[in-house]
Amino acid sequence: MGRTVGIDLGTTNSLVAYVDAKTGEPKCIPGPSGSTLCPSVVSLDADGSIIVGEPARRRLLTQPERTIYSVKRLMGRGPADVQSELKLFPFRIDPASKSVIRVQLGDKIFTPPEISSFILRELKNWAEAYFGESVDRAVITVPAYFNDAQRQATKDAGRIAGLEVLRLVNEPTAAALAYGLHEKQRGTVAVYDLGGGTFDISVLKLISTSEGDIFQVLSTNGDTHLGGDDIDHLLQAFVHEQILQHDQIDFSPHGELAQELRKELIDVKHRLSETDKVTLRFPLPNGKVFEYEFTRGALEALIRPVVDRTMAPVRQALADAQLSPKQIEEVVLVGGTTRTPLIRRTVQEFFDRKPHTELNPDEVVALGAAVQANIMDRGVQNMLLLDVTPLSLGIETYGGAVAKIIPRNSTIPASAQEMYTTGVDNQTGIDIHVLQGERELAKDCRSLARFNLRIPAAPAGLPRVEVKFLIDANGILQVAAKDLRNGEEHLIEVQPSYGLNDADIERMLEESIEYAEQDFAQRQLIEARTEAEAILTATAKALANPKAASLSEPERVKVERTVAALKEAVKGPDYKLIRKKIDELNHATEHLAEILMNSAVQAALEGKKLAEV
Amino acid sequence: MSTPFPITDSPLVCWSCHERTIGTHFCASCGKMLQLPEKSDYFAMFEIPRKLWIEVAALEKKFLQLSWKLHPDNYVNAAPEEREISLRRSSELNDAYRTLREPVSRVEYLLAIEGARVEGKSKQQAPPELLEEVFELNESLDELRETRATSGDTTALKQRLESAQKNFQSKLEEVDGELQVTAKEWDSAADAGADETKRKSIMAKLNELLNRRSYIRNLVVNVQKELL
Repeated sequence: MGRTVGIDLGTTNSLVAYVDAKTGEPKCIPGPSGSTLCPSVVSLDADGSIIVGEPARRRLLTQPERTIYSVKRLMGRGPADVQSELKLFPFRIDPASKSVIRVQLGDKIFTPPEISSFILRELKNWAEAYFGESVDRAVITVPAYFNDAQRQATKDAGRIAGLEVLRLVNEPTAAALAYGLHEKQRGTVAVYDLGGGTFDISVLKLISTSEGDIFQVLSTNGDTHLGGDDIDHLLQAFVHEQILQHDQIDFSPHGELAQELRKELIDVKHRLSETDKVTLRFPLPNGKVFEYEFTRGALEALIRPVVDRTMAPVRQALADAQLSPKQIEEVVLVGGTTRTPLIRRTVQEFFDRKPHTELNPDEVVALGAAVQANIMDRGVQNMLLLDVTPLSLGIETYGGAVAKIIPRNSTIPASAQEMYTTGVDNQTGIDIHVLQGERELAKDCRSLARFNLRIPAAPAGLPRVEVKFLIDANGILQVAAKDLRNGEEHLIEVQPSYGLNDADIERMLEESIEYAEQDFAQRQLIEARTEAEAILTATAKALANPKAASLSEPERVKVERTVAALKEAVKGPDYKLIRKKIDELNHATEHLAEILMNSAVQAALEGKKLAEV
Repeated sequence: MSTPFPITDSPLVCWSCHERTIGTHFCASCGKMLQLPEKSDYFAMFEIPRKLWIEVAALEKKFLQLSWKLHPDNYVNAAPEEREISLRRSSELNDAYRTLREPVSRVEYLLAIEGARVEGKSKQQAPPELLEEVFELNESLDELRETRATSGDTTALKQRLESAQKNFQSKLEEVDGELQVTAKEWDSAADAGADETKRKSIMAKLNELLNRRSYIRNLVVNVQKELL
């Protein structure tokens, strides 16, 4: 069995972490560049290979039509849900999308779980390279306010990436786990988590018992479409308008120029968290330069609506936990967007308490996921997490109303039974519509699934079928039916309203393995070419060295021939051939290297520096 | 393991060691989690008698203790069958705690397992002594909607509705008070080992109070919505 890791699959950045067995401390794993942040950006190369992370992020500027960011906003959503987003995001949705959105990258079509799976696979690769061992199980975090479909989509992404998803953990809860371990806090805690695209507030109680520490979530609330992206959009819209007025240039969100401006504006936003004034200078296609001085005050006035939108969920979560702001003993800030001074001030004023920001807000969720992964992996534990379902579960009744059967903020796993019978003789089925949400009418709630409960023909009112709705510890719904007359029980295959079926997932898993192989070849090629370039440069330099004159003519010809062969190989896609030619060149230059080495040693003896040789 | 309130009187067969055992949550022979038998109830799950006064702090303590043992996080590496049992048992534990923690849902649940819960025929069915006040309230609500539709002045109507809301709110508190008194009656009857007739009459009273409570509560919520 391979390793188990914790993954924060974020809107803007994703991270992978583990718990160090020696220190017992959670730690984020760096990627090849040394950074622990993997930008959640995926790009499809012209040759069909998938590029993830920082290289993909750079492609946002050069190949925006082949590159996608913030795909988390599309997880578990239908085409009708995202219409408003399309004005601001350069998402190219396949018009043929039905229940599941399909996104176009170049000439290929992907579902959001597939795109997320590429990010997960990249992180899996990071971890495998780091451990030198395979990684096959993961705890993945999701926004606490994610509904069933969004959770299912995340779990599917894990499966497509070849990971067994041990648990989906709510992001604020994961942050509390990381802080609980770090600070040994006890009592009531509010976690305010504003990320790139989602907002969550969770109220927890930390309890010490003789068995260990319990993290009990009392209530949670949020908005799965509220985050730093919205601040970026406000800034973009503001500057687009300015440029339209002054220079009559209209920015389409799809263009490369808009992406370039977006990047600059995000930079302005970040810098305004540190300083009071930032001047944007942006070259326009008409040769002019758009110049604008932003002040922190003006930015705060612009983004106040976003900050205010977070406060209604905060009040609701406290009301549901039956606590007043004063009764909250600790406040924790999570998510990159909480670096914004206005947000810090607003939260501090509301709770009348200085919030905790000691742990890196970008890393804290991944660290908590690693803690939970460690708990689950080892099965032994001195910590237990009791989370809640963020939304009420209901079923549609007569007249389109909703009967709530599991109220929001119920500790999960949670279940409810409903008894069904028939209204007319020989009725063989009952339509059941399951919904999630707080509103009273079915049309205002989120449709989770519709299915037809099959019933053996009998006189009306005689059949008695008990349907059990169970929300598991991941916050995902399971439905089972039991015929009470014969005790027969069966799990109902519920086709989610906005999800993939098992066959889809199997097919995507297969395709993803193909991509992974392609990725591997692509990676090998890049590495081989980089190495070839390094050795070619070194060889050219060595041949140019005056000391190289002592090399015999046949030897020199041989080196030059091998150099030419390697240069030829580098042009092609065969990484194995490049490796072979590298080896040959290494072999051919052995004597040359020796000559130079000897003269270097001599030089060193003569008191010269090596670089002067 | 001592089991003062066995979840069932008849011995169960443990799914794992196949021994016959009487236990609440775990097999007395092999210690494995037991499947929840038919006809077990939430009171038995917490090993408390079927009474309506519950010490919430003790209930919470028991809940946390059982959570440690039943939660699916403990069974990640277990066999699929045991994982499934853990999922069920821990969801039932959570359902039980949620139900017993709140006094009203506790009464509702007690009546349901005693087979004494009869819900009001329809939401329109007002308790007789409230008929007149409900009639007035509905008139005021209609008037408010009409006045709003014609953009008229709603200040006076709103004030009238606010005082009606307060009136019904205090009636709700009255019902809650009566529920408490009747719940104590039930507990004493249970302690005294009262006969079936006595038990039934208390349950009928509790049932009637629950229906009245749910009716008044709906009224209050509806008025609140209109006043927002």
